[in-house]
Amino acid sequence: MSSIYYYLAGFLFCTGLLGTIFKKDLISILLCLELMMGGVSLLTVLFSRSTGVLESQLLVFFMLIVSACEVAIGLSLIIALYRKKQTIYTDDIKIITE
Amino acid sequence: MHLNYLANIGRYIPEILLVILMVGLILIEATYKEDEKDRRYIFITAIIGLVATFVAILFNMGGKPQAIFTNSIVIDDFSSLLKLIMVLGTIAVVYLSRFSKDIYETLKTEFVIMAVGILIGGFLLASANNMLTLYLGIETLSILSYVMASLKKNDERSSEAGLKYALYGGVSAGIMLFGLSHIFGVLGTIQFTGVAAMIPNLTTVQMAILMPSFVLFFAGIGYKIAAVPFHMWSPDVYEGSPTPVTTFFAIVPKIAGIAVLIRVTSVFFTVESPMKVGWIGLMLVVSALTMTVGNVTAIGQKSVKRMLAYSSISHAGIMMASLVMIGDVGIRAVLFYAITYLFMTLVAFYITSIVQDKYGNDHFDRFSGLIYRYPWMAVMMTVVMFSLTGIPPLAGFVAKYNILSSLINSKFYTLAVILGLNSVVSAYYYLKIVRLMVLKQPESEEAIEGFGFLNQMIIVVMTLPIFVLGIFWETIMSFANVSKLFIN
Repeated sequence: MSSIYYYLAGFLFCTGLLGTIFKKDLISILLCLELMMGGVSLLTVLFSRSTGVLESQLLVFFMLIVSACEVAIGLSLIIALYRKKQTIYTDDIKIITE
Repeated sequence: MHLNYLANIGRYIPEILLVILMVGLILIEATYKEDEKDRRYIFITAIIGLVATFVAILFNMGGKPQAIFTNSIVIDDFSSLLKLIMVLGTIAVVYLSRFSKDIYETLKTEFVIMAVGILIGGFLLASANNMLTLYLGIETLSILSYVMASLKKNDERSSEAGLKYALYGGVSAGIMLFGLSHIFGVLGTIQFTGVAAMIPNLTTVQMAILMPSFVLFFAGIGYKIAAVPFHMWSPDVYEGSPTPVTTFFAIVPKIAGIAVLIRVTSVFFTVESPMKVGWIGLMLVVSALTMTVGNVTAIGQKSVKRMLAYSSISHAGIMMASLVMIGDVGIRAVLFYAITYLFMTLVAFYITSIVQDKYGNDHFDRFSGLIYRYPWMAVMMTVVMFSLTGIPPLAGFVAKYNILSSLINSKFYTLAVILGLNSVVSAYYYLKIVRLMVLKQPESEEAIEGFGFLNQMIIVVMTLPIFVLGIFWETIMSFANVSKLFIN
C-alpha cells in the first residue's frame, strides 16, 4: 500500500528535475526546484518509516529550512536581475558568453 | 551519555570562535552609517579573529582523533590541516578585499562577514561525520556563495553569475539529497561511523541501489569543486564575480569539497566490494575528464581571470586523481597539493587583481612588459606560473610528482599518462603570461598604485613557501604523514 508513496516521491522528483531543465522562466525553475526538494523530503520520511530510524526525519526538517533559504536567496537574485534587464526569461539573460 | 554531550566542546573552539566572530562582525557593521567609507574596525576584528582561529586549530592538532557531538563531528589532524589552509586563504582574501577596487566600498564589510560564514561551512564540511552535518556544511557554503557571487549589484554580469550559481546549485543539491536519502534507505543510518563494516554484508540488490545513489551523491560534491560534468557554472561565476570573491571561490569551497570527498571515500570505500571498484572507476573517469577539459578550454581564453578559473578546474581534477588510490598515500599527496595550491592561487590572483584594478580589465595584454616596470612582481608571477605548470625545483612540481609517483606505484598508468600530458598542455597558457611579461614592451609607463611596498612585500612572502616547499618538502610531507584519517 505504502509503495504508492514511493512512486509519488519519485514522480515529484523527476517532474521537478525535468522542469528545472526545460522551463524557460526563472520563477518556474524555482518552483520546480521546490518540487524536487518536496519529492526528496517525502522519500526520506518514507525510508525513515520503513527502516524505523528516526534520525533521518531530523534531516528532513533541515532540508525544509535550507530549501526555504535557498528559494529566498534565489528570488532576491531574480529581483536584482529583473531590475537590470526587465525580464525573467532565461533566453534573454545570457550576457556572459565566450 | 547525555551529560557527556558537551564534554568535548573544548575541541570545537575554532568553530565556536568563528561563529562568535561572524556575529560580532555583523554587530560592528551595524554601528556604521550607510555612507561611511572607512570601516577599518571590521577588517581589524576579522583578521584578529581569524588569526585566533588559526591558533586554536593549531592547539587542536596532534591530539587523538575524536568524534564529538554524538559522532556528528570528527576532529582529526586531517581536517585540522585543511582548516588551517582554509583560514590562511580567508585571511589573505580579506586583506585583498581591503584595497581591491572591484568590490563596492560599502559592500566590503559584507564581503568579510560572508567570507567568515563560508569558512564556517567549510569547517563543517571538513569534519562532517554524518549526512546531516555534510548537508548543512554544503548548504552553508553554497547559500552564502550565491550572495557573494552577485556582490557587484549594479553589474548585470555579477547578478547573472550569482543567479546561475544559485539555480545550478539548487538543482545539484536536490540531486545530491536524492542520492543521500537512498543511501540512508539502504544502510539505515545517517552516521558515517560504523558504516564501513556494513558494506560487505549487503545483498546484490542493495549494492545495485547503492552504486547509482553514490553517483547522484557525487553530483552535489562534484558541483562544489567544479568536476567536469558539473563545471559549467564555474568560469561564468569566476568571471562575473569580483576578483577577491573569485580568489575566495578558488580556495575555500574547493578545498572543503576535496576534504569531504576524501572523507566519503575513506568511510564508504575502504572495504573490498564491487562498490569500491565502481567508485574508483567513477573517480578515474571524472578526474581525467576534469583535468583535460579544464586545460584544453583554458588555452583559448583572453582574460587571465577566466584562464585561472579553468586552470583551477584542472587542478581540482589533479587533486581528485589522488583519490583513486584509496588510503594514506593518496591522502598525503592531496594534502601536500592543497597546501601548494593555496599559495600558488593566492599569488596569481593577487597580481591579477591589482593589475585589473588599474586597467579595468584583465586581458593577457595588460601584463605586457611588467618586468620593466615591476621586476619583482613579474618574477613572482613567473615563479607561480612555473610552479603551476609543475617545473622543478618549485612546490608545484613536488606536489604533482607525489601524485604521479603514487599513481604509478598503484598501477594506474593511464591516469598517470593523462596527468603528464595535461601538464604539458598547461605549460602553453601559463607560459604565455611569462612570455608577455618578459618579451613584450610595456603598453604604458603609468604606475600601478596597487603595487605599493607593503603589497609587494606580502606577495613576496606568499611566494616564499613555493620555493621552500619545493626544496624542503620532506619536512612538510612527514607532517602530512601524521595526519591520518580517523575512521571507525
